[in-house]
Amino acid sequence: MASEKPYLAVTCTAPVNIAVIKYWGKRDEELILPINSSLSVTLHQDQLKTTTTAVISKDFTEDRIWLNGREEDIGQPRIQACLREIRRLARKRRSGDEEDPLPLSLNYKVHVASVNNFPTAAGLASSASGYACLAYALAQVYGVESDLSEVARRGSGSACRSLYGGFVEWQMGEQADGKDSVARQVAPELHWPELRVLILVVSAEKKLTGSTVGMQTSVETSPLLRFRAEAVVPARMAEMIRYVKERNFQGFGELTMKDSNQFHATCLDTFPPISYLNDTSRRIIHLVHRFNAHHGQTKVAYTFDAGPNAVIFTLDDTVAEFVAAVRHSFPPESNGDKFLKGLPVKPGPLSDELKAALGM
Amino acid sequence: MASEKPYLAVTCTAPVNIAVIKYWGKRDEELILPINSSLSVTLHQDQLKTTTTAVISKDFTEDRIWLNGREEDIGQPRIQACLREIRRLARKRRSGDEEDPLPLSLNYKVHVASVNNFPTAAGLASSASGYACLAYALAQVYGVESDLSEVARRGSGSACRSLYGGFVEWQMGEQADGKDSVARQVAPELHWPELRVLILVVSAEKKLTGSTVGMQTSVETSPLLRFRAEAVVPARMAEMIRYVKERNFQGFGELTMKDSNQFHATCLDTFPPISYLNDTSRRIIHLVHRFNAHHGQTKVAYTFDAGPNAVIFTLDDTVAEFVAAVRHSFPPESNGDKFLKGLPVKPGPLSDELKAALGMDPTPGGIKYIIATQVGPGPQILDHPHAHLLGPDSLPKPTV
Repeated sequence: MASEKPYLAVTCTAPVNIAVIKYWGKRDEELILPINSSLSVTLHQDQLKTTTTAVISKDFTEDRIWLNGREEDIGQPRIQACLREIRRLARKRRSGDEEDPLPLSLNYKVHVASVNNFPTAAGLASSASGYACLAYALAQVYGVESDLSEVARRGSGSACRSLYGGFVEWQMGEQADGKDSVARQVAPELHWPELRVLILVVSAEKKLTGSTVGMQTSVETSPLLRFRAEAVVPARMAEMIRYVKERNFQGFGELTMKDSNQFHATCLDTFPPISYLNDTSRRIIHLVHRFNAHHGQTKVAYTFDAGPNAVIFTLDDTVAEFVAAVRHSFPPESNGDKFLKGLPVKPGPLSDELKAALGM
Repeated sequence: MASEKPYLAVTCTAPVNIAVIKYWGKRDEELILPINSSLSVTLHQDQLKTTTTAVISKDFTEDRIWLNGREEDIGQPRIQACLREIRRLARKRRSGDEEDPLPLSLNYKVHVASVNNFPTAAGLASSASGYACLAYALAQVYGVESDLSEVARRGSGSACRSLYGGFVEWQMGEQADGKDSVARQVAPELHWPELRVLILVVSAEKKLTGSTVGMQTSVETSPLLRFRAEAVVPARMAEMIRYVKERNFQGFGELTMKDSNQFHATCLDTFPPISYLNDTSRRIIHLVHRFNAHHGQTKVAYTFDAGPNAVIFTLDDTVAEFVAAVRHSFPPESNGDKFLKGLPVKPGPLSDELKAALGMDPTPGGIKYIIATQVGPGPQILDHPHAHLLGPDSLPKPTV
């Protein structure tokens, strides 16, 4: 923790999270408060993580930050918001102990370096893991022990959900100052050990509408979004939390797909319309529905964020067969053995009936 | 009109209509009553129409129907609903005249032949023009003069909007029996003479979800659709009618695009989700937004129905430039001179600034062809006997 040492270095890692009840739209752009609550699944850091080193020193004259080896502008508003917030929390904590003077280290500047173990081109949102890691690392060097939701959130809304493992809720809160807009763990990492996640990285395309501008335009122009936030999401949050606690994959999967589709529906209802799904995304959706219809139950679920990549949820006993179905419908080009990364998947058979059912 | 003649033949034509405030979802599957009102533009029959001949004869032993030269099942529920409804109206009218007995012709069976002058593969909904024409032709032979909204509607909901030219509203109605769910003309054919319509026919794809099943699934599974019908469409209907009456293209165009997008949004919110728009549709949407941004105003508007084809609205002074922009972004493959059909469009220039603003990689062959048309009239009766699709033997004439 923080002390009077003239130099302190801390390195942390933080995970990526995937929302199953989506966040899209802010009620406060500065404090980054959402128009609805959201729920996510934290992914394992063995496959995806951000690593961040934070160093404070009395000899530093300014804050500096490097992302993936390249120095970035420390004045970027989101980064500044995190720094201000962590320092505010550090001073608040200290001033709670009436006798102790504030340690000098609170005034030290910080150097931060951060890397992701996954490519940016994969289109996986790295801002959540990045800002969660930044918040966590800064908390270590500045001696902050309180809830870090606000620090992470001010960097990127969904980053607060990356502060916990397992299944995480970001409660939208009601207060104007956002103090009650916090993340909390709904179920721990080992609650549902059979659950598996497959990220289907779709071929890269030209630049898509960024989330910040996109969701702002949605809030301003989509009548359906407001209705979603007020009348649909609250009940879905309660329902999803129940499915997670009960390990009900049928319910979890179906609601995950519905919420992904509804999020993308509100993007289409935006003006100008935003389309994150492309023809490949739609073929994946089609594949999943046919796979489930063949089995007569929801065995696989998709969700899509602000890009064409599919995140697939399934149970461990279905992974091999589904991967075989994906290979069959989307034959890999050259990198046959580099097609599957991360957790090992034993090659699975594809029955003739399933091939016929997929019909693609 | 109906009489005691032993034989009567009538041939009519009816137009296609394109909704700018969309109908999607029924509150009554049998009477075909919608969950919200809708508004459409009637297209000109010079480019798109259904032609229908109806013949009644005391010698016919059964009703029969031929569509595009092929005999179809007369028992098909929608066709039966139209026939029952027209006959009910015919009897009702007659029985209003206390002294006159019902003419015998009301009991005559009917032969119907119908053709479209546009290909089915073009993905243009022919059920609206088809059922409107059927309703109109049957009304002629059976002597029905009352409102035909219900007859057409029972065949296909949007068909009631094809009973009028110009700009047409299908009022959803409130009564359970659907008697107040009727179409009415908002503005006539010649109200907005500068308005032009371009149908961009996109390359055909595999079979899409049909409208009837699709909208039923949407009503059953989409929370957003219910909200749209109750809380969004009523105000949009009033707004759109105002824009039409004022000939306000900026307002008309923007609202048309928003309503098309919202309709497709509710399809995506359906479970399983329905996607009628494909990558080409999205590129067309993108093109329109960039074209409008370049001009700093809404000069072009798109709308999409239950398929990937785009229907573009614009004013006559913009057609040439927009067609040039389309050719540039979607270079036609082989049929250079057959790319543009319908109303003549003089070749227009594409400025370098606009080319830069469009900034899209070309998609060769993405659009198969364009049909240029304009606002048109309602159903017409054809007087000349050679227009009849059924010959003296009351069977379809051989097609040339």
